[in-house]
Amino acid sequence: MSVAKTPFRFMLSLAASLVVAFGAAYSAAAPAPSAPLKIAYSDWPGWVAWQVAIDKGWLKESGVSATFEWFDYVPSMDAFSAGKVDAVTMTNGDALVTGAAGAKSVMILITDYSNGNDMIVARPQYKSLKDLKGQKIGIEVGFVEHLMLLDGLQKAGMTESDVELVNVKTNETPQVLASGQVAAIGAWQPNSGAAMKAVPGARPIYTSAQAPGLIYDVVAVNPTSLASRRADWAKLVTVWDRVVKYINDPKTQDDAVKIMAARVGLPPEQYKPFLAGTKLMTLEEGKKVFAKAPGLGSLYGSSKIADEFNVKYDVYKEAQNVDAYIDGSLTLGK
Amino acid sequence: MQVRRKWFQVGRPLPPKLSGVFAVLSFALPVSLWCVVSYVPFVWHPQILITQPGSVDYLQPGMRMDKSAFAAAEAEATEQQKALPKGVPTNPIYLPAPHEVIRAFYTAFTTEPQSRDGSWLHESLWHSIQIIFWGFVISSAIGVPLGILCGAYGPFARMSEPFIEFFRYLPAPAFGALAVAILGIYDGPKIAIIVIGTFFQQVLVIANTTRKLDLTLVEAAMTLGTRNSQVLRRVVLPGILPDLYRDQRILLGWAWTYLIVAELIGASSGITWFITQQARYQQFANVYAAIMMIGIIGVGTDMLLARLGRRLFPWDRSLVKSDA
Repeated sequence: MSVAKTPFRFMLSLAASLVVAFGAAYSAAAPAPSAPLKIAYSDWPGWVAWQVAIDKGWLKESGVSATFEWFDYVPSMDAFSAGKVDAVTMTNGDALVTGAAGAKSVMILITDYSNGNDMIVARPQYKSLKDLKGQKIGIEVGFVEHLMLLDGLQKAGMTESDVELVNVKTNETPQVLASGQVAAIGAWQPNSGAAMKAVPGARPIYTSAQAPGLIYDVVAVNPTSLASRRADWAKLVTVWDRVVKYINDPKTQDDAVKIMAARVGLPPEQYKPFLAGTKLMTLEEGKKVFAKAPGLGSLYGSSKIADEFNVKYDVYKEAQNVDAYIDGSLTLGK
Repeated sequence: MQVRRKWFQVGRPLPPKLSGVFAVLSFALPVSLWCVVSYVPFVWHPQILITQPGSVDYLQPGMRMDKSAFAAAEAEATEQQKALPKGVPTNPIYLPAPHEVIRAFYTAFTTEPQSRDGSWLHESLWHSIQIIFWGFVISSAIGVPLGILCGAYGPFARMSEPFIEFFRYLPAPAFGALAVAILGIYDGPKIAIIVIGTFFQQVLVIANTTRKLDLTLVEAAMTLGTRNSQVLRRVVLPGILPDLYRDQRILLGWAWTYLIVAELIGASSGITWFITQQARYQQFANVYAAIMMIGIIGVGTDMLLARLGRRLFPWDRSLVKSDA
């Protein structure tokens, strides 16, 4: 038995056994029919809201077995794409983007729409979008703020060629605005708030409150899971209604904010303002948005606009069949 | 002067007492610099912390602004003969003062988890340590034997090193999505990132260490009749063991540096997720407190391992000297 051979064989068998052990420990076994629904959620007020249901034990109460897994936003979509979770919370636009890349999803529930948390923040001397003519704007090209900016420019009678876009990561926008190299930035909370703190006098000159429905936040479900576990998903949808009412009720709001703030690691009083920029939707309100119509008042219309935007800016090549991404029947109670 | 000369020379060892003094200084100097910058108002403090907004409509108490912008606001108010804004010089929010960080350090451990599925900070830390441990163990289980073989035998080296040289330049974090797709959303992909980040460096470093073994030892062994097959176990391994141990200590530090990306993959967890989340909401005292925790754990482990090394390899001169 020569030493030169044995270590090699040892190496091989060691590597093999590690791979096997690893695989056994971590390979996702095919989910049994009664396995809990696995939902990835992340740091946005409309999704952190689920924490209320989790902490209060409402999921169990309504007989749905579901586990929520806390993620960063982009990794949450990665996990969904990889088929490791059954559902993910994301924007309707991002549902199209992940779908175009291969991971189709069905939006079954609208959690909220952004109602001011997304902003174009300008340095003090610029009071409106019109003032930005010929100026530089720091924005993450191809993402929701870009879409919102175009919407605002259109309303101000301008086009994208009237301004100069600088591609900036959303979480770096506060520093970029503070550097003085751009006249304005586009970002959502908490980045937009940080940008205003970084440049005193800077204010939002256009926000998602002026374009309600441009960005809907949804629970998007893996189509296979939706087909096989429909009853469970239906129960989950009813829990949402209870969550929204608990948060909106002045009597219980403080308790709700406390739970949500704990999830993101902030004192409640610092978290509360973020709630104001998010319009949480009860099922009743959601029903109207699930009605098929053009324009931002409908999830169909809003997604259609997002789809056109995504194709135009090469986020993906082929227009998506928006209808296939939407199933309002659970919200509509059918 | 005469006394100073004795130790301030190339290659002269320090007397133990002085050695201790300098070790204390190595921490005391940066910390006191930090204190000076934080507590002496005329050092740096490039911003003004607003205490009273006066008549300026866009100011709020607690806001920080550049001194020049504050001066402009002040001038404007003076011109209009309105109430002046007031404020005190302050550092940017990114640089909290030492006492704020110490307080954050303490409260981080004493605050109980607010949400039902939340965890105590020490639980998060423990989780992170486990990720590092398993990542390092798996990487070492393959990397150390392979590294030794590469260092000892040409064919192994030629067959693996070119590829490893190539692969070590690929950024480990970029494999995050792939790791999630294969290993799921919990600890698997995180451990995998640590392994990818550590393994390739490990093989090369250890192969190099093995090559540095004094060849006269091998020749002497052969002359004395050691068979080719025994050389590795009887000569090479004992010969490199102290250096190998030191390499492993350095590589363990490497593994820690990958933790921050590893823990943002899949379901968020651990100490570095805490850092990222707190930074997002600009709670920088908490951020620095958590960074300090990692530093303390790292240095603590390394000191323990160094002490253990002296026990294990009493014949190794360099080990004793470098850690004295």
